[in-house]
Amino acid sequence: MTTLQLDRPGFTRVAQLRHTSPGRLQLMLSALLALGLLTGLLAGVAASSADSGTGDLGGRAQPLLTEAETIYSALADADTTAAQAFLGGGLEPAALTRRYEDDLTRVTTALTSAARRTPAGGESADTVRELATGVTRYAALVAAARANNRQGLPVGSAYLSQASALNREVLQPQADRLLRIAQQEVEDGYSSARSSVWVTFYVLLMAVLFATLLHVQLRLSRTTKRTFNVPLVAATGLLVVLGLISSGVLFAQRAHLDTAEKDGSTPVTLLSKARIFVLRERGDEALALTARGSGGAYEEDFGTVSQRLTGPYGLLEVAAGSIGDDSAEEHVRDAMVAHGRYLNLHRKVRELDDSGQHDAAVKLAVGAEASNAFQGINDGIGAAMDDRMALFTREVGAAGRGLGALTVLGPLLALMICALSWLGLRARLEEYR
Amino acid sequence: MTRRHTLAAVVAVALLGVTAGCTADRDGARVEPPTAAQPSAPPQAAPEESCNARASLRPTGALPAPRKMPAGTHMAEIFKRGRLILGTSQDTLLFSSRNPFTGRIEGFDVDMGRQIAEAIFGDPDKIQIKVIGYDQRVQLAANGTVDLVADTMTVNCERLAEVDFSAVYYEAGQQVLVNKGSTAKGIEDLGGKRVCAVTGSTSLENIAKVGSRPQPVGRAGWADCLVAFQQNEVDAISTDDTILAGLAAQDPYAKVVGPKFTSEPYAMAISKQYPEFTRFVNQVLARNKADGRWKRTYDTWLGDFGTAPAPPRAAYR
Repeated sequence: MTTLQLDRPGFTRVAQLRHTSPGRLQLMLSALLALGLLTGLLAGVAASSADSGTGDLGGRAQPLLTEAETIYSALADADTTAAQAFLGGGLEPAALTRRYEDDLTRVTTALTSAARRTPAGGESADTVRELATGVTRYAALVAAARANNRQGLPVGSAYLSQASALNREVLQPQADRLLRIAQQEVEDGYSSARSSVWVTFYVLLMAVLFATLLHVQLRLSRTTKRTFNVPLVAATGLLVVLGLISSGVLFAQRAHLDTAEKDGSTPVTLLSKARIFVLRERGDEALALTARGSGGAYEEDFGTVSQRLTGPYGLLEVAAGSIGDDSAEEHVRDAMVAHGRYLNLHRKVRELDDSGQHDAAVKLAVGAEASNAFQGINDGIGAAMDDRMALFTREVGAAGRGLGALTVLGPLLALMICALSWLGLRARLEEYR
Repeated sequence: MTRRHTLAAVVAVALLGVTAGCTADRDGARVEPPTAAQPSAPPQAAPEESCNARASLRPTGALPAPRKMPAGTHMAEIFKRGRLILGTSQDTLLFSSRNPFTGRIEGFDVDMGRQIAEAIFGDPDKIQIKVIGYDQRVQLAANGTVDLVADTMTVNCERLAEVDFSAVYYEAGQQVLVNKGSTAKGIEDLGGKRVCAVTGSTSLENIAKVGSRPQPVGRAGWADCLVAFQQNEVDAISTDDTILAGLAAQDPYAKVVGPKFTSEPYAMAISKQYPEFTRFVNQVLARNKADGRWKRTYDTWLGDFGTAPAPPRAAYR
């Protein structure tokens, strides 16, 4: 009650201003100044929010997704490679050992840089930490398996199967969780880069300011003899310039973000899924051979996975279709051809194993022909992913262009509009002194 | 791995001795005088105490020469197929395990299968090894997915209700594996200690039955128990002496101690659809036990643990 009573005289005074000419001028001036300052503030906020969102998307969220994908696929590849290295008997082939070690290096490198990109205390940071601990244990178990194998002790296989269980049942699900978090962060990254709420407010305010400026000028030209108030015309001109610059920058940003999402992120996500499925096929094949006749579950999983990969609605076809670029699509087509070759070889491997020729089946499965086909799939998918990642980086870089300048220029132009408004109305006000 | 306590065998022997009024041999099996071809009457699905688990189907006639299997028999079918399918495991060193150097599965059990393949084809290599889970052994033998299961498999009446067994080819019993420095002289000395066995095996149940109350710890396979033992997750492993021997052979810091506190007669499981095949296998077993082949196989795989004992005596019903 007291506040209302206190306010009332002030409110009455403002209301009374409407009845005198200088009062009305004062009201117009304060409205213009308030709107101008707010527009400047929002220009700064919207531009800097879009700028930091775009920077976060390109510099943190998407790289985190790439690293999560690397961790997942390198873990799966390490598991498959270790299983294959033991499959043939004798010392593990040097090429496979090297491949396994490369995989581990990729996992640890990606984990280190993923740790940098995850906010401390978040779920993703916890997952990265758990993965780092688990990978150390995994490497130790595989090392024990190799040491025992070197001594010719069959217990090496038990160490290997413990390592494989750790990889498949603990580490890969953790990597999958990290991948999902990262995917969510990329989606969030796009919306925070677009900063739709701030941009909407900003555009609305500019419209209101524009309308107010026009209204003030109309009234002035009606009440005075001058048709134009030069400073106010200049302010209107500046506002139009600010509007053009802002919409130019923001529209361009959105267009680039759309391209980055449609031609960059979407195919990259599809391709990374495809790569993980291909690795799972290869792992299933090796584990089915290791299981020697009781690997039915692995063969079933192979069937399910390859069904999701192939065919007109398969992941590879969808990924190829999602790419709007011929040379990158060509890479995926190459991968599809290699995948077809690989599936044929796999059928032969199963035929051999099912007809009791286990040794021949192993020889074919780890032989050069199968390895080349498998490598062909990986290379094709990898090349397409690199290409799409490059496009993403390019587009996000372009999306961020001008946003930094707008953060400074927006408030500056708005201040100038305020100054011009004040100049334009002060001359009229002084006429009443 | 279902393991039966000695008690079961003793009770079975006693019951049979009373009901059939026959003489029982050292192994407790009923010994019948040789007769002519028996009709392959299906063995009765009797409760375990009332059957003689060790008694198998009697061989008939002379052993056919390799590659000359009588028409209409399962052996002829195997011959036509071109390979014998053996079901076994790959984690029991000395009995059936993967040789890390060659990647092949080999051991005493595998050789039992190879000798049958040799008898059919004249070539022990005409064999396909299927690694099967411990819990699948009875089922896969019964439905004929594999011709033969040789996998440190104890004969017992419960299993006899579903499959036929060959004559006993090895006598095993549960013992204990401990650290070289341990003062334990048997399972009784391991009260409160963690003792590993495969989950679902009666070896694991037997550990819990010991009076001094060791603490049973389950793992997926025997080699996994050794991994746990080497990583100090368990203090000891307890199962059949044969399996323990294979584990001890891989770890110079382990030793097997104590008396056998159960009796585990091993035999090969075969589908009840092919009684003629069981008889054929028994005939091959009898020949190999007599001509020294069994002893040579023993020396090859288990020779490091002393001289070969006399082969288990076959018992027929």
